[in-house]
Amino acid sequence: MTWLTPGIGLIAAAIAVPSLLILYFLKLRRRDVEISTTLLWRKAIQDLQANAPFQRLRRNLLLFLQLLVLGAALVAVAQPQSVTQRFETQRHIILIDRSASMSTTDVPDDRGGTISRLEQARRAAKAMVDELREGGVFSKDEADEAMVIAFDAGPQIVQQFTGDKARLRAAIDSITGAQTPTSIEATMAAAIAHLPKRLVEGQAIEGLTAGQPVTMHVFSDGRIPDATRAKPGPENRVEYHMIGTKAAGNVGITSLRAERSFDNPAQLTVYAGIENNEAMDRRVDAEIMVNGRVAGIKSVTVPGVKEDGPAPEGTAAPEALAKMPETWARPGVAGVAFSMEEAGAASIRVRLLSPGSGTMLEQDTFALDNEGFLAVPAAKRLSVAVVSSAGNPFLEAALSGLPLSRLSQFTPGTWEETLRRGKAGEFDVVVLDGWVPEADAAGNPLSPGRYLVLGELPRGASGIVRKGDGGVGVIIDWTRDHPAMKNLMLDDVQAGAMPVLEVSRELGATVLAKGDRGPAVVEMQTPAVRAIVVGFDVMKSTWPLRVSYVVFLAQAVQYLGDEGSVQETGRQSQPGREIRDRLPAGAQDVDVRKMPDGERTPLIAGADGSVIIGPLGTTGLYEVSWKGAAGPTDQIVSGRAVRLYAVNLNDSGESDVRAATRLPLASDVATASLKTRTEGVRRLWPWLLLGALLVLMVEWWVYNRKVYV
Amino acid sequence: MQRTTDITRPKTLEELLPSTLMARLDPLDLASRKVFYGKLKGERRSKKRGQSVEFADHRSYVSGDDIRHIDWNIFARLDTLFLKLFLEEEDLALHVVIDASASSDCGIPSKFAFMQRAAMAMGYVGLVNLNRVAATAMGEGAVQSSVRDLRGKRRVHDLARWMCSVEPGGSFSFREAAERIALSRRGKGIMLVFSDFFFKEGFETGLKLLKGRGYDVFCIQVLSPQEVEPDLVGDLRLRDVEDMDMAEITVSAPLLKRYKANLAAYCESLREFCARREMQLLTIRSDTPIESFILDSLRKRGVVK
Repeated sequence: MTWLTPGIGLIAAAIAVPSLLILYFLKLRRRDVEISTTLLWRKAIQDLQANAPFQRLRRNLLLFLQLLVLGAALVAVAQPQSVTQRFETQRHIILIDRSASMSTTDVPDDRGGTISRLEQARRAAKAMVDELREGGVFSKDEADEAMVIAFDAGPQIVQQFTGDKARLRAAIDSITGAQTPTSIEATMAAAIAHLPKRLVEGQAIEGLTAGQPVTMHVFSDGRIPDATRAKPGPENRVEYHMIGTKAAGNVGITSLRAERSFDNPAQLTVYAGIENNEAMDRRVDAEIMVNGRVAGIKSVTVPGVKEDGPAPEGTAAPEALAKMPETWARPGVAGVAFSMEEAGAASIRVRLLSPGSGTMLEQDTFALDNEGFLAVPAAKRLSVAVVSSAGNPFLEAALSGLPLSRLSQFTPGTWEETLRRGKAGEFDVVVLDGWVPEADAAGNPLSPGRYLVLGELPRGASGIVRKGDGGVGVIIDWTRDHPAMKNLMLDDVQAGAMPVLEVSRELGATVLAKGDRGPAVVEMQTPAVRAIVVGFDVMKSTWPLRVSYVVFLAQAVQYLGDEGSVQETGRQSQPGREIRDRLPAGAQDVDVRKMPDGERTPLIAGADGSVIIGPLGTTGLYEVSWKGAAGPTDQIVSGRAVRLYAVNLNDSGESDVRAATRLPLASDVATASLKTRTEGVRRLWPWLLLGALLVLMVEWWVYNRKVYV
Repeated sequence: MQRTTDITRPKTLEELLPSTLMARLDPLDLASRKVFYGKLKGERRSKKRGQSVEFADHRSYVSGDDIRHIDWNIFARLDTLFLKLFLEEEDLALHVVIDASASSDCGIPSKFAFMQRAAMAMGYVGLVNLNRVAATAMGEGAVQSSVRDLRGKRRVHDLARWMCSVEPGGSFSFREAAERIALSRRGKGIMLVFSDFFFKEGFETGLKLLKGRGYDVFCIQVLSPQEVEPDLVGDLRLRDVEDMDMAEITVSAPLLKRYKANLAAYCESLREFCARREMQLLTIRSDTPIESFILDSLRKRGVVK
């Protein structure tokens, strides 16, 4: 507390207090009364009647009250003011992280136990709400307002701007945890979108907010991979409230993958990547269960964190890392692989257990990543038809080396005969070498199926149009992440006759490889047809002589033959995300349920069988079933086709539960120690005068009651 | 409690003791718990064996006894001489003491006026019954004035005259006054002491002295209504009318409560003191009618019958 005018107050006190006391002595003009004897009165007033002035005043309530009034007035004259910590801004956005890592139970409790980070975040947020200013009678300030947003993979606005603390607290209490990864970029964008826009000539301008800047309070453990892309706005402030401890230890599965052997698809290998962010090495048992049966347990030692390593990819942008003085200790990584013979569809569950005990991990503050799931389709060898007018020894040699269940040769005539007989559906992939059928009456270039077209272009509305011959050409670029094109080196491919093609995106055609004269390899997709078209004549190029030709054929056949697009050996996703997949055309009565006994939720399949499943909130295995034809890898259960999907956290950033002391944003670095507080002055004199008035009223009441002792 | 401002005092017997009251007092007589030796033949039974008609006892004849008192009937039966003893009837001494200090002239109605009338009434009862009546006014100089040896109804006017002549005022020492009364009185009898007994020196020594000579002492403590229920308000300077002692008070509920508690304790201590010394105490308010005081209060206490 400080005083604005203490001198004046002291002088006034020096004059007023003695004056009051003197006045009090003088004011007692007693009336003389003669009585028979003072004997009894003397006894009664022994204390009061003493001559000493202070004894006389000792129990005088009225004088005491008057002194109190005078004292309050004098202190008010000295203009006391208290300096308090207050927020710099009046508007606040409370962002509460409820992602998977916030379920870590590493926050010590008052009662000796531990609570989850989300609970601690709720408590800290409510404490922050308590700090908000309320508009007062004697305060020129208006009340602070706050908005509550919970975020995980996306934002959820729990409470709009309000100054009502009870509603804010209730909103904060209503936030429950999720199992999803964290993203703050969209959250901040949503928060800013709720601020009033700045008007320029009557038009609201996106990105420019009006009014006073806001403070965004981020209650999080700082495990936010996209924080460096989050833009809180140039004028707004960010206060990062670190939740959780830096030393929180966790061992968890951060990647899970299953692969079937190329040569022997019944040979299934499951890989689990395990990370440890503790200082010490951790020994854990990894248990794998296939279709509910334990198929193996392996013991693995996961090394402790590696000091002074670079920050993991995606955790923070390099420019933000430059602002971070703390060194990032990389979690220790270990892997475990299980190999088994499993030709059929397999639902796989991998768990981390305490070594030798068979029980769940001890001293692990984050349980969500201690198990993972996989849905592996049944092993299937493809059957391939090659339709070639003149025969192609390179193609035949390359395809015969693939592990196919069937490889049949057709001439255009025999193939059309097969088509007529309706036997074409027996083949998963048809390779059309230098020949394409004519388009049907509706203009469809190909009958339903999957095609690899070499050296020719489909007729009709295929989206690929030949514009002319281009002569000799080379391939200069290709999409390296396409399943059919990955791991290829096409720099050394020269084509003797590279046609000039035009590709129409509207008709579902995408370019996979570009030559110097335009598109060279194109993927064509219609609801019924998927085809990869190599536009130039392969036999008049150097490609058959390159290794990349064989690899391309193998990958293209595998890609076209594979039904799903999720992943080649396991349909996986993360919590909070939706899965896009395509069911066989004509699928009806589609629904999804969580294994083993979740409720069925209906899904709507598109005309081409495409469905969007989810978003699926929790980890585990999900079963999509439908009426209708089953795909090559689907199972038939009780007359319904069934396809399994796995949802795993599989997020190294979430599994690394060490709370970060800094939150590097696109524009700034918010540290846990930085408080967006400023010193505010609160004048106390009006309260003192109010108090004096109240005491005066009490004095008046006392006076009227004549209780003058 | 305050000093009486109305100083209209009775000047005649009629004013002091109205004839109607006199008529009601006529049948009354003084009663004493003790039987005293008297001086003159009176209407009161004496401890002495004497010549009344009331038989008391027998005793053996010894030589020199009056043979007129020999019980011949006993002699006839027992052949032994016995004397018949008869009770002697004598008069009774009544001593009325009133407090004529300035403090007794306080209160509305005045305590002194009450004492004056009550003392006159008691004196009248005594005179009518042929008792020896004395009266003393304690006042300035311990004993202000006194009158003694009044006997017979004829002396009622003398007593009234003296009573009217007493003027309250000044202060006195109760101990000194009691000492002088004790020394001056003769014989034994009933003593009625009218006072408020508010003596700063204490009432104990004085009462002991009065009791010392074997008097049957009745203390009648007269308090004004204002002393019992003070009607004071505000900041006051209280002045004692006798010694001019000052007491500054601010009247408050707790103070009044404490005063009343003190008064009750004082009266209780006086009562206890009297009881221990075979004295009787009667505390009465000055607004009590004289008639009910004598006919009810004193009769109940056995002072009159």
